[in-house]
Amino acid sequence: MTSLSLPTPAAAGRPVESPQGATAVSFDRVSRRYGPTVALDAIDLRIGAGETVALLGPNGAGKSTAISLMLGLLEPSAGGVSVLGREPRAAVRSGRVGAMLQESGLPALARVRELVELVRNLSPRPMGTVDVLRRAGLTALAGRRTETLSSGEQQRVRFALAIAGNPDLLFLDEPTVAMDVESRHAFWADMRSFAEEGRTILFATHYLEEADQVASRIVVLDRGRIVADGTASQIKAATRGRRRIAFRTDSTDGAVYRALPAVTAVALRGDGAVLETTDSDATARALFASDLAIRDVEISGPDLEDAFLALIADGA
Amino acid sequence: MTAIASTSITSPSPVRALGSYARLELTRAARNRRYLMFGIGFPVVFYLLYTGVLQGKAASPSDPAFQSFFLVSMAAYGMVGAALTTAVPIAQERAMGWTRQLRITPLPSAAWVATKLVVAYLTALPAVGLVSLVAVVVNHVSLAPATWVQLVTGLAFGVIPFAAFGLLLGFTFDPGSAQGAVTLTYLATSILGGLWAPVSTFPDGLATIARIMPTYHLANLGWTAVDGRGVDPVDVLVIAGYAIVAFALVAWRYRSAEQRARA
Repeated sequence: MTSLSLPTPAAAGRPVESPQGATAVSFDRVSRRYGPTVALDAIDLRIGAGETVALLGPNGAGKSTAISLMLGLLEPSAGGVSVLGREPRAAVRSGRVGAMLQESGLPALARVRELVELVRNLSPRPMGTVDVLRRAGLTALAGRRTETLSSGEQQRVRFALAIAGNPDLLFLDEPTVAMDVESRHAFWADMRSFAEEGRTILFATHYLEEADQVASRIVVLDRGRIVADGTASQIKAATRGRRRIAFRTDSTDGAVYRALPAVTAVALRGDGAVLETTDSDATARALFASDLAIRDVEISGPDLEDAFLALIADGA
Repeated sequence: MTAIASTSITSPSPVRALGSYARLELTRAARNRRYLMFGIGFPVVFYLLYTGVLQGKAASPSDPAFQSFFLVSMAAYGMVGAALTTAVPIAQERAMGWTRQLRITPLPSAAWVATKLVVAYLTALPAVGLVSLVAVVVNHVSLAPATWVQLVTGLAFGVIPFAAFGLLLGFTFDPGSAQGAVTLTYLATSILGGLWAPVSTFPDGLATIARIMPTYHLANLGWTAVDGRGVDPVDVLVIAGYAIVAFALVAWRYRSAEQRARA
């Protein structure tokens, strides 16, 4: 995607921003089964208007099922789904919902501009064509036939179709899967500007980095259940082994380190040790107060990946 | 959010929305070589081959009666081919998720089905115009204005169920087999319906089969016109019957696809 865009007249013409606390999506004990397989298991979830939420989880966690339920493409086996205060299909018909789904192809023999115009003409208060093309980085490709586009370019067309109706609520299912690193960064920069206009964005990803950097809230799904829900730092904090203390030393008696306060694990290396602790302040204080000869001390928090793996392992 | 926004929404005019979708679909059809070949190219070429190039080599092709008989046959053949060929893009769009993408726009899915039907129907119409034009210009076929009206309206009515057949093939087959299914249906029904050789030359058993083919009754709506006969109510009734069954099947297939989401 090319450069960012400022809010435009079309965007300014959108309805007044929703009041704080309005609900964009709610799941009330929602289950979805495919035969004997439980894809979602009694999920409760509320997403407020204006939030940017990442649905994070491994393959098969239930992310795509959750998004399909929110779009009315699937019906829940039990429980209730509400989108923008109404039944999902009614929300979709109102034209206030846009979505970029996984593996959705573009029809052949159509030009980029024609597809954008189609979605605009189907929507009650569309974004301007020029604006859509610019935001999706398609201005130069508007006259091209879809079958002549690269997969990255097709991805941009799918993004353009998701925003052409000027949605309040945008769903993106693994939107950057086919993109290289550069396009991915440009894409999320665009998405941030989209979110800054007060729109609600919910995206599914298994890239932890994206969830960490883009979302204001992360919902971690694993095997159909929500195993964590919060900001990236809350999720990191909620996991075991909150801090690591690594240092060089000549004393390689593990028992000494294990005796330090709050230490949960000790890993000895040739010239040093790594301690895992639930209270790095207490551990470090005791470490420095001892007569152990240590140097090059580093204290680090776990990254989201550690947190994520820990959460998923907990559920096992 | 709902309360505030819903007051400011004015729905797009359904006419504009559906018109926009139908226009795009017709544009895509006009770019579709397969459609241009089956729906326009083949019938015109076969008409010229049978009535022109072969002229003088057999008794019947140079016969004016044969020329107008075959005008109807090839117009019907092209119309059927065009209507059925709509199955191929439908199968492709279903498989690749474009149909699903449209379901997450405000376009109601019933409107999607209706547009596909209308587009399949409209793409069937050029064949009768072009074959007629070639018949007049090249073979100097001359028919009374009333005959032309009866011929064109008869064929335009008779092709209605074929638009629904095209949708059904597209709902049933995957992209790999849709073209084969279309070609097979197209050839079998046009041969059995007497579009290539008159049903009067068929042995009895085959003639009975011909008379239950929708292609036979489609073409007979035109043949009765060029023979100077009135419209045969049997043709109208049989076509109407096929249309009712085919539309019901389309509605049923479409509903069951919708309900699969609820399973």
